[in-house]
Amino acid sequence: MHTPNESAALLDGIRVFIEPAHVRSDPDSCLNYGRDWTRLYTPNPLAVVLPGTVEQVQQLVRYANEHRLALVPSGGRTGLSGAAVACRGELVVSLERMSRILDFDPTDRSVTCQAGVVTEAVQNFARDHGLYYPVDFASRGSSQIGGNIATNAGGIKVIRYGLTRDWVTGLKVVTGCGDLLDLNRGLIKNASGYDLRHLFIGSEGTLGIIVEATLKLTRPLREPSVMVLGVPDLDSVMSLYHILRNKLELSAFEFFSERALRHVLKKGLHRPFDTETPYYVLVEFENPEQLHTDTALALFEHCAEQGWLADGVISQSESQVKELWRLREDISESIAEYQPYKNDVSVRISRVPDFLAEADTLLTQEYPDFEVLWYGHIGDGNLHINILKPVGMNPTAFAQKCGAVSEHLFAILQRHGGSISAEHGVGLTKKPYLHYTRDETEVNYLRAIKQVFDPNRIMNPGKIFD
Amino acid sequence: MKILVAVKRVVDYNVKVRAKADGSGVETTNVKMSMNPFDEIAVEEAIRLQEAGTAKEIVAISLGIAACQDTIRTALAMGADRGILVETEVELQPLAVAKLLQAVVDQEKPDLVILGKQAIDDDANQTGQMLAALLGWPQGTFASKVEVGAGTVNVTREVDGGLETVALKLPAVVTTDLRLNEPRFVKLPNIMKAKKKPLAVFKPADLGVDVAPRLITLKVQEPPKRQAGIKVDSVATLVDKLHNEAHAI
Ligand SMILES: Cc1cc2nc3c(=O)[nH]c(=O)nc-3n(C[C@H](O)[C@H](O)[C@H](O)COP(=O)(O)OP(=O)(O)OC[C@H]3O[C@@H](n4cnc5c(N)ncnc54)[C@H](O)[C@@H]3O)c2cc1C
Repeated sequence: MHTPNESAALLDGIRVFIEPAHVRSDPDSCLNYGRDWTRLYTPNPLAVVLPGTVEQVQQLVRYANEHRLALVPSGGRTGLSGAAVACRGELVVSLERMSRILDFDPTDRSVTCQAGVVTEAVQNFARDHGLYYPVDFASRGSSQIGGNIATNAGGIKVIRYGLTRDWVTGLKVVTGCGDLLDLNRGLIKNASGYDLRHLFIGSEGTLGIIVEATLKLTRPLREPSVMVLGVPDLDSVMSLYHILRNKLELSAFEFFSERALRHVLKKGLHRPFDTETPYYVLVEFENPEQLHTDTALALFEHCAEQGWLADGVISQSESQVKELWRLREDISESIAEYQPYKNDVSVRISRVPDFLAEADTLLTQEYPDFEVLWYGHIGDGNLHINILKPVGMNPTAFAQKCGAVSEHLFAILQRHGGSISAEHGVGLTKKPYLHYTRDETEVNYLRAIKQVFDPNRIMNPGKIFD
Repeated sequence: MKILVAVKRVVDYNVKVRAKADGSGVETTNVKMSMNPFDEIAVEEAIRLQEAGTAKEIVAISLGIAACQDTIRTALAMGADRGILVETEVELQPLAVAKLLQAVVDQEKPDLVILGKQAIDDDANQTGQMLAALLGWPQGTFASKVEVGAGTVNVTREVDGGLETVALKLPAVVTTDLRLNEPRFVKLPNIMKAKKKPLAVFKPADLGVDVAPRLITLKVQEPPKRQAGIKVDSVATLVDKLHNEAHAI
């Protein structure tokens, strides 16, 4: 921490190479830019800097090295693990002003953009050019491409299109040393040694600052249909997964519990059908000219006979596709007011049933009085388990209790070879539990890599590991 | 009471429509087609009247190419009892549609015809009114509320100054506005059932109606591209630009 005079001098030094208006230390900016979507930490940055060019980013990183100033790269701040939180006097580096799309190549089917471009802007850009950027999730309207890359964001189309990693063909980064690296330059094939691009994907701002990215695009989904199915138990969810995946071209297989559904209904959405079931599955598949509707109907009949589902609806228009998606996508936002304790875990798909059964037993036993919501990208082996804070309960006591239960949950996860963070990153919230997923030897390799890119430990220190 | 509901197959509301290169119309190949949203509302309203015990039978009718059967099947899956397709390759304009509907009304003798206030493809907003005129029936257009009484129907309409309620004697024609109801989703088992519901197909000639277009489309073209906006850094520049460049103030 610096004295007020030291801080002022440090900021004045930055104002020499970045326009003073873009070096902000007013309380509002510090509060808003000092936190992400989590509410567990008290934001306390030194200031917020909004560079406008790659050169300014480089100057800033060099300056930070000179003065041993910790930097927190900041995107749309929709992160769910506290990775973009600045609570220890760091300098927040927001990429928000670097939000231009720089280049589009229809032959390569690729778009090059600055890191601060909002995810949805890339999706819209692709659509306007008859193409599709398939990395997608509810925070699309705020999250940035740089943030998506730094967290290797997944989302709702992973089952068909993979994660952010699968769409990045080039990266420009400013390392923690201040060097500018131009990684892979949009090549499909490049066997010329280590691919550093992949180290930056999922690095949560701990190796450097992503300033530009080249992303692949693909053809749009052809007339997708969405079904929402009412399911009696968790085992049936997986039975449905196996049979539907084999017979339809799935682009999503999501699930949510009745308890989760009730929260979005409270916000004004309608029940998709009157039958109440403990779980629901949302399935999206390509269905040009209704070619596969008969297959879907036959599958529905078969699954109903097996007792795997109790009811279901199918979209008749794109508007209904969107309406049905909201039942799943709006969950996160609808429960935000309960300050949920979030678990975002994954196991191999083959392990999902066993893991689910054990986790369900544990959570029922350990949280008799808490509301536990299940939902997630179950087709990827990824479950979001949200525990809602009872109204009136002290947040610290709540976090402690949940932390204690997490130890048990992660022990189960470890036995199944799973991960304590499927797609939200480690940041601050999952740092204490990293060892359930990565052993000490492996974490030491991670530390050694960080040492290469960031010898002075100025890049988002204290995130992922200490 | 028997209700006839008209449903039109249109380019899906969410599709960005493009003019054909030769200017002859709108591109529809490889484009998602759905039921006109106002017609979905019409079907939903009919079903609610049936669920309330007011209506006995709902007949869904569509007019156009063979693929309009899909739209009728959707109405049947939502809850309509049977369907009628008047099949033709001719481009149907509102007057032709109204005349065909009139002919079907003469056969079916419904107590109420419900239509969307307009179709989102041509936005004509004419068919319901023309049909009422041809039949000599009262009309309640842009309905945001429909209440059926004994031999009457009260239709609440959203007008500029607020809400207006008109009382119509049955039989009558009602056209739906957006806020009338929220259409239900189609249940998968009901799609199966809908396949077994009767669907009769006629040709315009069977009904003795001449459907030849009365209007000629000269050209369909995209609106001029809007120029990208710019950001200004002060109020003074904004005022200056509005005054000197846009000549808006
Ligand atoms: C409603 C809701 C739904 C969500 N659904 C999903 C989902 O389905 N799947 C999923 O994966 N995530 C989901 N998320 C989480 C979140 O949106 C993603 O993690 C997203 O990728 C974060 O992007 P951001 O720009 O907001 O990053 P931030 O939160 O600003 O930052 C995240 C991390 O990236 C670093 N960072 C940001 N920009 C840069 C840069 N230019 N260079 C280097 N490091 C940088 C930050 O330092 C931090 O470590 C959801 C969040 C919300 C609120």
